[in-house]
Amino acid sequence: MDTPSSPLSNGHSFPDDAAAARNGDSAAKKRRLLPLSADELRREFAHHDPSVARVNNGSFGSCPLSILSAQQRWQRLWLRQPDAFFFDELQPSILRSREAIRALIRADHVEEVSLVDNATTAAAIVFQRFQRAFHEGVYAPGDAVVLLHYAYGSVKKSAHAYVARAGATVVEAPLPFPVASAADVVSEFRKALDVARDGGRRRVRLAVIDHITSMPSVVVPVKQLTQICRDEGVEQVFVDAAHALGNVEVDVSDIGADFYTSNLHKWFFCPPSVAFLYCRRSPESTDIHHPVVSSEYGKGLAIESGWIGTRDYSAQLVVPEVVDFINRFEGGINGIMKKNHEKVVEMGKMLAEAWGTSLGAPPEMSCSMIMVGLPPRLRVDSDEDAQKLRKYLRGKFQVEVPTHYNGRRPGDEDEAVTGYVRISHQVYNSLDDYCRLRDAICKLLSLGLACKDLLPFL
Amino acid sequence: MATDPATVKGDQAEEDGDRAAANGHQAAEDGEIAAANGHQAAEEGGEIAAVNGHQAAEDDDRAAVNGHQAAEDGDRAAVNGHQAAEERGEIAAVNGRREEEDGDRAWKKARRAETMTAEEIRLEFAHHGSEMARVNNGSFGCCPASVQAAQRRLQDLWLRHPEKFFCDNLQPWILRSRDVIRGLINADRVEEVSIVDNATTAAAVVFQHVQRAFYEGAYAAGDSIVMLHYAYGSVKKSAQAYVAGAGGNVVEVPLPFPVRSEEEVVVEFRKALEVAKDGGKRKVRLAVIDHITSMPCVVIPVKRLTQICREEGVDQVFIDAAHAIGNVEVDVRDIGADFYASNLYKWFFCPPSAALLYTKLSPSSSLHHPIVASEYGNGLPAESAWVGARDYTPHLVVPDAAAFVSRLPGGLSALISRNKKKVVEMGEMLAKAWGTALGCPPEMACAMVMVGLPPALRVEGDGDAQRLRRHLREAYLVEVPVYYNPRRADDDAVSAYARISHQVYNLEDDYLRLRDAVAQLVADGFTCAALSSPPP
Repeated sequence: MDTPSSPLSNGHSFPDDAAAARNGDSAAKKRRLLPLSADELRREFAHHDPSVARVNNGSFGSCPLSILSAQQRWQRLWLRQPDAFFFDELQPSILRSREAIRALIRADHVEEVSLVDNATTAAAIVFQRFQRAFHEGVYAPGDAVVLLHYAYGSVKKSAHAYVARAGATVVEAPLPFPVASAADVVSEFRKALDVARDGGRRRVRLAVIDHITSMPSVVVPVKQLTQICRDEGVEQVFVDAAHALGNVEVDVSDIGADFYTSNLHKWFFCPPSVAFLYCRRSPESTDIHHPVVSSEYGKGLAIESGWIGTRDYSAQLVVPEVVDFINRFEGGINGIMKKNHEKVVEMGKMLAEAWGTSLGAPPEMSCSMIMVGLPPRLRVDSDEDAQKLRKYLRGKFQVEVPTHYNGRRPGDEDEAVTGYVRISHQVYNSLDDYCRLRDAICKLLSLGLACKDLLPFL
Repeated sequence: MATDPATVKGDQAEEDGDRAAANGHQAAEDGEIAAANGHQAAEEGGEIAAVNGHQAAEDDDRAAVNGHQAAEDGDRAAVNGHQAAEERGEIAAVNGRREEEDGDRAWKKARRAETMTAEEIRLEFAHHGSEMARVNNGSFGCCPASVQAAQRRLQDLWLRHPEKFFCDNLQPWILRSRDVIRGLINADRVEEVSIVDNATTAAAVVFQHVQRAFYEGAYAAGDSIVMLHYAYGSVKKSAQAYVAGAGGNVVEVPLPFPVRSEEEVVVEFRKALEVAKDGGKRKVRLAVIDHITSMPCVVIPVKRLTQICREEGVDQVFIDAAHAIGNVEVDVRDIGADFYASNLYKWFFCPPSAALLYTKLSPSSSLHHPIVASEYGNGLPAESAWVGARDYTPHLVVPDAAAFVSRLPGGLSALISRNKKKVVEMGEMLAKAWGTALGCPPEMACAMVMVGLPPALRVEGDGDAQRLRRHLREAYLVEVPVYYNPRRADDDAVSAYARISHQVYNLEDDYLRLRDAVAQLVADGFTCAALSSPPP
C-alpha cells in the first residue's frame, strides 16, 4: 500500500523496509538468478555437519543458506516493528507464498491453498472435519474410513483420535513390500475398499492415500487410486503427500483428490517448517477449519491458517525466494527431481550389488528415495534391531540413514532380506556419502557382526 | 554407559556444563527418555552422543553477534554499529569476535548472574526500530538479543544434524524449559506444565476438551460456560466454534469500563454465574477468566473469582493469562484454577512464540493437543512437545529468557514492580496533559494501563480507533493501541483510550512523544473523521 513517509522518519517507511528485505539490491538479485556454481552449491549446504554422510533428506529435509538468510530478514523485520509488520506485511506475504504454490501444484484457485506447519497439522484439520460430521449426525456410526497400512504413524493416530473415536470404522489397506509393480498396490487397495464397503452396507466417507509412503517408502499410484475411489463411491479422498513437493510431480487438478497436503521443508528447500493443504473448492469445503481458532475463524481455511495467534511465520514467507533458488538449477525443479531420482536409483543399485541384496521397489515406484535390502547376515529381526543398527551407523560411522524392519513371513528362508535402508538423494549429496554407507555395512559383515552383537551406541 | 572417544572429538565443551557442549549426558542426568516412540523418521531415545554444536559456527556463514545478523543485499538491518555483511555465505565478523565466542560469553555471563548495566540493556534491544516510540509491549512482546542468539545456536544445531538433535536433545531440553516454568509459576509437578505456541492454542486445547465432553454425553446440551465480555476475540471465537458448536451455552460477563474497583468486577461475575446456572437448571461446566484482559486492559482478581466458582459449583476454571507471566506475580497453586495459560513471548522475553499451559493434575482431565501425532495418549506435555517436524527453538530458550531476567536489577519481582510503577506514572502524566483519566485504579493496572484520550479527537467507533492508531504510527512514529469504549456512561466524554505498556527498554521520551503527538492532533483541530474520508 502507498503510505507516505513521514518527514520525521528520514525517508524510512515500513513498506520500503519490507520491499528491501524481499528484493535486496539489484546486483544481488541478479546474482541470485544466475546458475549455481559447484562451489556456491557447496557453500549453500556448508552448515550441514561435514563429518556426517547425510543420506536421509527424507526425514527432516534441508534448507540452503540463502533461504535461511532470507528467513532471517523476515524475522528481523518482525522483531524490529511487529505491529507494522502484522498490519501491513504479514498477510500479503503469506498470500504471495500461497500463490507461488498454487501455480506449482496447478490448483485452480488460490483460496484452495492454505499454509500450515506440516502434514501432521493438515491431517488434524481434515480429520477434525470428519469428526464433526460424525458427531453432528451427517455421517452414521460405523461409516468407514480407509487408510494404507503404511500410512505415517502420526496420521494413523490422528485418524483414531478424531474419526474412530467419533464412531468411524477404520479399515487399513495392507500393501505388499517389497513391491514389484503398481498393479500390486492397486489390487490390494481394491480389496481393502471392498472390505470397507462391506458389500454396500457401509458408506466409505474418506480414503487417506499416501502419495509416497514414509516407511517403507514407495511411490503410490495416487491418480489411479483416486479414480478407483470415485468409481467405488468413496465420498472424499485425502492424499497425504508429505514427501511429494520437490520429489515427484504434483498436479492436484490431475490427481483429482479433495484434500492434498505436502511438506515444503522436506524436498522443497524451505526452513522448518511449512506445508500446504490443498482443499478442492466445493460446497463442503466451507466446513473445514484450523483447530487453533482465532479471530479469523469463519473466513476460510487459508485465512484462518494465516493467523493462528502470534507465532513466527517466517518459514511460510520464503516460498518466492525458494522458487528463485530452484530456478538456478538446470531444468528447475524438474531437473532437480530427475537428477535426484537417477542418482538415488544408481546408488541404490550400487549398494544392492555390494551387499548381495535388491531394491525394495522398482525404480518407477521410487522417487528421490529408494529402499535397499540389508544383507541377511546382519540379522535384522525386529524393530529394535533396526533402530539399534541405525544408531550404530550414526555413532560409529557418522552415517545417517533410516532403517526398516520388514518382518519375516512364514516360509521365508533364513537368508531372506528382512531389513532395509531408505536412502535419499538431494542436491548436496555426493558419491562418497553412499560409499561410506556401503563400506560401513560391509565392515560389519567382515567382522561377522549381527544386530544383536552391536553394543548399544550410547 | 559407554563413552566413545570418537564422540568427543572436536568438542569445545564448556567446563561449566554449558548444555550446548555437553556430551549428551544431559539426557541421562535428567533421567528422561529422549526420543518419542513410534516415529518413522527417527528412533527411540536413550542414545547419548557428543554435540559438536560449537563447530557449527565455524562453518556457518550466518554470523550473529549479540543477536545481530549479517545482513545481506542491502538490507538496512545493521544496528548498533555492526556492519551489514554481504555476499551470500560470508560471515561478517564484527570487531573480530565470532558468534560462538559471543554466545558463550553471553551464556557465561548469564550463569554468573551479573546484573546488566543500562547500556547493556539498551544494546539488548537495539534491534527495535529506533525511530519508533514503542509503548505497546503488550501486543507482541519483545526478545532481547542474547535470547535470540541462544535461539539461533539451537537452530544451527538442528540444521547441522537434525536426527541427532531429535534423538538426543529435543525432549530433554523441552523438559528443562518446562521445569523452569514450573518453578516460575509455583506448580507442584512438572507433569502439570506443557509448552504450546501461544494462549490461542491453549484455548483450543481446553475448549476441545469441553467439546468432547459435550459430544460424548458427559455434559448435557445446554450446560453453560461463562466468559468475560472482554475476553480476547480469538478466545471468544474458539468458545463459539468448539463449545457452542457442540451444544454448550456460552454466557458472557459484562464488565464495566472504566472500572473503579475490583468489587465491581466481582459483582458482575456473580450475576453472570447466576444467569449461567439458570436457577439450577443448568450446570456451569467451565468459567474462562482473564487474569489481565487485553482490551480494555485491567487486572482481574482471579483468585477471588476462582474461589467464587468453587463455591458456586462451577466444574472447572480456565484462566486465560495471556499477558501475565513476567507482568504480574503468578502462583497457580494460590490461584487454584484447573487450567492456566500464559504467553512467554509477551512479557517473559521469549522469541515468537511460546506459551505455558498449566493443567492441575486430575483424573478427569485428559487434555489433548489438537495436532495429533505419535505422542498421542502420552499426556499433554508429551503431545505438545512433538506436533510434527517444526522449529521448537522458541520453546527451548525459556532457561535463557529466565537467565536474562535474573540479570535485570532485582530480577523478576523488581522488574514487575518497576514496570507497573513506571507505567502508572507515565499514565498519570499523560492523563494530566490531556485532561483525561486512567481507565482503572492503579491497583488494577500492571505493566499496562489504559489512558483516556482527549474527547476532541472524536473517536466514535472501532474503525476510528484503528485508523487513529495507524495515523499515530505513520505520522508520529508512535506505536500504541487505541480502544474505543462503547460502554461509556452518557456523561463520560472520553470515548477512547490508549493502552500504554512499559517494558525494560522503554524510556520516558517514548511517552513524551506520545503525549506531544496527541497534543499536536488536538491543537491542529484533528478529528478521526478526517481519517475516514477517502483521499482526493
